[in-house]
Amino acid sequence: MNFLFLLTVLIYLAASIFQALFLTTGARTGASTLRPKISFIALWNTIVGFVLLTCFLGLWWLQQGHFPMTQWTHSIAFFAWAITLIYLVIVRLTDLRALGSFVVPVAFIAILVSYSFLTDVSTLPEPLQNYWLLAHTALIFLAYAAFIAAFGFGLMYLIEERKIRKKTDSLFDNLLPSLGISDELGYRCTILGVILLTMGVIVGSLWTQYIRDVPWRWLDAKVISTFATWFIYVVQIGFRRFWGWHGHRAAYAAIVGFAAVLCTYVGVDLFLDSMHTYR
Amino acid sequence: MNQIVSVGTSHHVAPIEFREKLAFSEEQLIEFLQQLRESDQVQEAVILSTCNRVEVYALANSVRNADAAAKMLVECLSRYHQVSVESLKRGCYLHKNLETIQHLFRVISSLDSMVVGESQILGQVKTAYDLSRSAGGVGTVLNRLFTKAFSVGKRIRSETTITSGAVSISYAAVELAKKIFNTLEGKTVAIIGAGEMSELTAKHLVANGVSNVLVTNRTYERAVKVAERFNGTPLAYDSDLGFLVDADIVISSTNAPDYLIKRQPLVDIMRKRKRRYMFLIDIAVPRDIDPDVSKIDHAFLYNIDDLEAVVASNLKDRQQEAVRAEQIVSEEAKRFYNQLQTFQVNPTIKALHQQFREIADTELQACFYKATLSDQQETAVASMAQAIIKKLLHHPMQNLRCAVNDGDVDHAQYVQALQELFALDVSDDNSEL
Repeated sequence: MNFLFLLTVLIYLAASIFQALFLTTGARTGASTLRPKISFIALWNTIVGFVLLTCFLGLWWLQQGHFPMTQWTHSIAFFAWAITLIYLVIVRLTDLRALGSFVVPVAFIAILVSYSFLTDVSTLPEPLQNYWLLAHTALIFLAYAAFIAAFGFGLMYLIEERKIRKKTDSLFDNLLPSLGISDELGYRCTILGVILLTMGVIVGSLWTQYIRDVPWRWLDAKVISTFATWFIYVVQIGFRRFWGWHGHRAAYAAIVGFAAVLCTYVGVDLFLDSMHTYR
Repeated sequence: MNQIVSVGTSHHVAPIEFREKLAFSEEQLIEFLQQLRESDQVQEAVILSTCNRVEVYALANSVRNADAAAKMLVECLSRYHQVSVESLKRGCYLHKNLETIQHLFRVISSLDSMVVGESQILGQVKTAYDLSRSAGGVGTVLNRLFTKAFSVGKRIRSETTITSGAVSISYAAVELAKKIFNTLEGKTVAIIGAGEMSELTAKHLVANGVSNVLVTNRTYERAVKVAERFNGTPLAYDSDLGFLVDADIVISSTNAPDYLIKRQPLVDIMRKRKRRYMFLIDIAVPRDIDPDVSKIDHAFLYNIDDLEAVVASNLKDRQQEAVRAEQIVSEEAKRFYNQLQTFQVNPTIKALHQQFREIADTELQACFYKATLSDQQETAVASMAQAIIKKLLHHPMQNLRCAVNDGDVDHAQYVQALQELFALDVSDDNSEL
């Protein structure tokens, strides 16, 4: 089993490497024959990795009898799964494979961490193991994944804008989408993320009404941090709608938002005491 | 043995004054093809006549060496166009067999063109080929050659990037616009100062989806005239340039000595248009647009030098790719040449076999008639005859095929010798081709 999970990690590694290669085959000579092959390998590695990861999540679910979110190693694997899912959906809809060069490595790091610390100890109190858990965590992780996609589009925007401003030679590689497309899709991902996050938070707060045996407090580090993240994205959308803050401002905001997501997800767990922490 | 030869001239070797003398109109082309065919020395021919080149590809009929065939072609051309043979020899290149194939493949792949990677030549060759074919100039060999050439041309265009990257200023502007906007559909281009260059750029932009064209010019009449061409809106010249609020792409090419578009006014305009992207193209010298404009968010400024740098870099990339394309051309040409030769040798081989078989059959019949043999004995004798034929022909055939394949020995001479020594009647039937 462990071996198969290692294989999944390696497939993700290969996918990341090929995605990186895809970006660096920028030099035009010979690229036209090589690049489609690299892109093909990268995409199929990602798909196979995704399928294997799905199997593992299903397996853990069966083993534990509830949604595998009670260990942080499982949760981070689910995080990788959500990122890959959002990426594959975007590729299906837009065929913008370059995005993978930015988000697949994030998924790889997540799954690598998951593999390195994989244990069998469940840390979540019994009463919390139910479908509320599934809805709450799945929604929030999908929101995170959408934010990471927005982050990827933000990076692509900034690189492309820099290329256009610097008037560099490799301007016509036709690898990165146009500024308008990166901007628009990044915005859509942000909106999707905010909707999912809002739903996840609502489900979570409803859930508290049903918890009997576990003491609950509202001033929880994770809760506050999540609200801060949510606020960053909502403000960003507002500025864009009313003051035309699109383009590189939106791109920087997506990067700040990504940092906030990381703080909320990893930072709080490591450094602060929270109801949500895995211990 | 048939020889493929070509005589031609192009912008590489001769000036326009010479090329125009050799150019063929459609009617002349058909007439000349007729003459060639009547001369009885040319079996098939295709004539390619464009503004940059005039080339005649011909399959010479039973001419022992290619030089004679080429000489004959030059003479025909000289007679038809009233140009002396000497000046033709100076201003033309001559290709034979493998060289001809290689040259045609290079031409069709645009490696011989003025701008490497241009796409027109493929269509021009296609037209020339169709024309020559409808005039009855094309038979099996040239058909095979040109069909192969078209596929090589396509292969090179798909496997290399010699066709990618804009190589003119106006196309470079279009490609840049595509890098900025998610789509050009519904975008507005404003032309300030209607010149030839800005008009051409606008034309390409409109062809790529830009829907609104605003034109302003110091003389309003000219603005009206240009606007009409694009179904656009002429605007009276107005120094505060308020119409830029609606413009996504601005092309400026006036003779104004100072900057027309300065930073601060444009900042205000950008605010009014909610910071939607603006792509400014300054093709005027002296410049019309303050270079500081490029520091404004979402305003992207390219001047004539920037665009020229883009074009130069694209051209350099094409040159690099051309090296790869040349390799493909020479591989394909060699392979095709070998195939062609094998196919051309086949009728002789077949005729030789047939002759031997016929002799054996006749002799066997005579032998069976004279001596009374049992069935078993007859079979034995017959198979002995077959074996003798096979053994006799083994070395000649093997050596002939070797000669075709390694190309050191002139197999045409072998074929000629075989045909003459054995009095083979090889009617030029290339039906297998």
